[in-house]
Amino acid sequence: MRNTFLVCYDIRDDKRLRRVYKTMRDFGDHLQYSIFECQFTPIDLAKCRHTLAELIKHNEDQVLFVDLGPTAGRGERVITALGQPYTSMDAPCYVV
Amino acid sequence: MNAGAASESSADALPDYLPARMLNEFVYCPRLFYYEWVEGVFAQNRETVEGGLRHAKLDAKHDDLPTSDELQASGEAIHSRSITLSSDAYGLIAKMDLVEAEGGLVTPVDYKRGTPRVADGKLVAWDTDRTQLAVQALVLRDNGYQCDEGVIYYVTTKQRARVAIDETLVSQTLDALRQARETAESGRIPPPLVDSPKCPRCSLVGICLPDETQACSTLDSSEQLSQRTLFDIDLPHRAVAYARVDSDSEVRRLLPARDDLRPLYLNTQGLRVGKSGNVLKVQEKDKTIQEVRIGEICQLSLFGNIQLSTQALQALCENEVPIAYFSMGGWFYGTTSGLGVKNIYLRREQFRLADVPGFCLRLARALVAGKIRNQRTMLQRNHVEPPDSALKMMKCMQEEAEWTDSIDSLLGIEGNAARIYFQHFAGMIKVDGEDGSPTTNGPSPFNFDFVNRNRNRRPPRDPVNALLSLAYSVLAKDLTIVCHSVGFDPFLGFYHQPRFGRAALALDLLEPFRPLIADSAVLSAINTRMITTRDFVQVGPSVSLKPEGRKSFFRAYEQRMDTLVTHPIFGYRVNYRRMLEIQARLLARVLTGELGTYPVFTTR
Ligand code: SF4
Repeated sequence: MRNTFLVCYDIRDDKRLRRVYKTMRDFGDHLQYSIFECQFTPIDLAKCRHTLAELIKHNEDQVLFVDLGPTAGRGERVITALGQPYTSMDAPCYVV
Repeated sequence: MNAGAASESSADALPDYLPARMLNEFVYCPRLFYYEWVEGVFAQNRETVEGGLRHAKLDAKHDDLPTSDELQASGEAIHSRSITLSSDAYGLIAKMDLVEAEGGLVTPVDYKRGTPRVADGKLVAWDTDRTQLAVQALVLRDNGYQCDEGVIYYVTTKQRARVAIDETLVSQTLDALRQARETAESGRIPPPLVDSPKCPRCSLVGICLPDETQACSTLDSSEQLSQRTLFDIDLPHRAVAYARVDSDSEVRRLLPARDDLRPLYLNTQGLRVGKSGNVLKVQEKDKTIQEVRIGEICQLSLFGNIQLSTQALQALCENEVPIAYFSMGGWFYGTTSGLGVKNIYLRREQFRLADVPGFCLRLARALVAGKIRNQRTMLQRNHVEPPDSALKMMKCMQEEAEWTDSIDSLLGIEGNAARIYFQHFAGMIKVDGEDGSPTTNGPSPFNFDFVNRNRNRRPPRDPVNALLSLAYSVLAKDLTIVCHSVGFDPFLGFYHQPRFGRAALALDLLEPFRPLIADSAVLSAINTRMITTRDFVQVGPSVSLKPEGRKSFFRAYEQRMDTLVTHPIFGYRVNYRRMLEIQARLLARVLTGELGTYPVFTTR
């Protein structure tokens, strides 16, 4: 099952920063500057960690993975917002 | 054709060399080996993905191993990475992560995730890992190297466990090799492990369904004999003798209750879908209105005029996300998918058994009886005042369906039961046609009054019928996709006869679920006012949903699909989407002879 993660990064080089940003767009929603919200299965997490590990410079950059627990039924319990509203995706399907 | 002939040809098709990894799987579980080696089935879980990613890194470096003579001559210590060698003598091929050589002596080193065992204060490699090293040693020896020892490097704990390649290990390994070959050649899939702690960690658990298969086979082991003699026909011979488990032993739910992927519906006319990275970009007039990651969807349904770029199409196929096409009005045209399931054996059994009238009848009876039972349950649960006479009649029809002797009379019984059910369908609708809420554009010309109406299809002439038609169309799509993913041909059924453009097998599987998923989604969309009469338009004689109403209906349908239900035999709860897949896999088991009867899904 999926867990919600905040992935936050601090990258010391602009080129790497752009690449990390681009990579992260495949994995989650851009929440704020340098912060993504991701709904990871254990497989996704392994892939994301592996991809980023190949990308960053290990003695300069840092990526943090913050596990917010199971996505299902999380509602708005874990993240609340001040200012711009935060909305979480909890629908059983996407309809456009 | 009999199963003997089938097995010969399946063994013929196997490559000459058995990969070391496969022997490893055989030692872990013979059934897993059979799935992967004979049927070509693979699935990923975290363990396999992590292993794969790590090996990708190792494989990138690719060395040559000097010959045994060269090694002896130079006397240097050498590390060679990612070496593949084969042995004609044993018919084995081994890919070695690392080979350390010094003088004439070589030592294969294998990288494994996880941790070694500790016994008597020493690090010990797991049996499967020992077998794999033994294979590597055998292959090395057959190529002229001297190899007395192997090493497993456990990545998680960064520890090395040495394995001596002694007589005992070699003969055990050769034994396993012989058994593995015999298993592959038998054309019979080994039974699942009983209550094994290995299963929860096995990547194929969702395909293998070990506990479910056990539960069903104990269920019908008593009936099986009488049925075989009752229908003296060429049923599959592959049924395996199972260790009898206690009938009250628990069925573990080893696969998640719900899929973590979501369906994507595109219904707005004129949308264009492109791709950037692994993200689908849904655009309306050059403006991106939604982005959806491909890794997070399980299917894509397109209604009407929507353009999908080739790049997006390719990426969806590659990620095994099926695409379903519908007309603007909801008519289901078909699907596009990737290469599909390689396992041809199931399809062969499907075609063979579709020609066996006794088998078709037996399955059809179960499906129709199950459907009638579920329709009856719907009335009992949802009708304002369940009509006694109707319930009684339906009960009779259900029993009649179980014993009738021809598909034709079965069709008649099904039709009669449906007529009674739909006569009382209105009693399950609990809103007025005019739903009382304020309206801006005047009263609607429609109502949800279903009294004295019946099913009318082409075209649907009232809102309820329009909803039912759309629901059946979408459910047929889901079962067509399930059929593909299990390895069936959706167009050849056992109850529904083949007709051009009709997914007959999908419709067979769908029957018992019609009331539970489709009708129920329609009722809840109406009763919870997700859809009101103002969501419809009249076009000529037909009534159809407006775009917004249709979107609401998809949400209602998916909510229903995501509802957890208890499986009547296994006792655990999964959602309907998962249930459809489990049921299709159980039907596959019946065709390949692992199970004697198909347990139709019914709710209480
Ligand atoms: S789930 Fe269990 S029985 Fe089935 S293949 Fe995997 S290990 Fe074997």
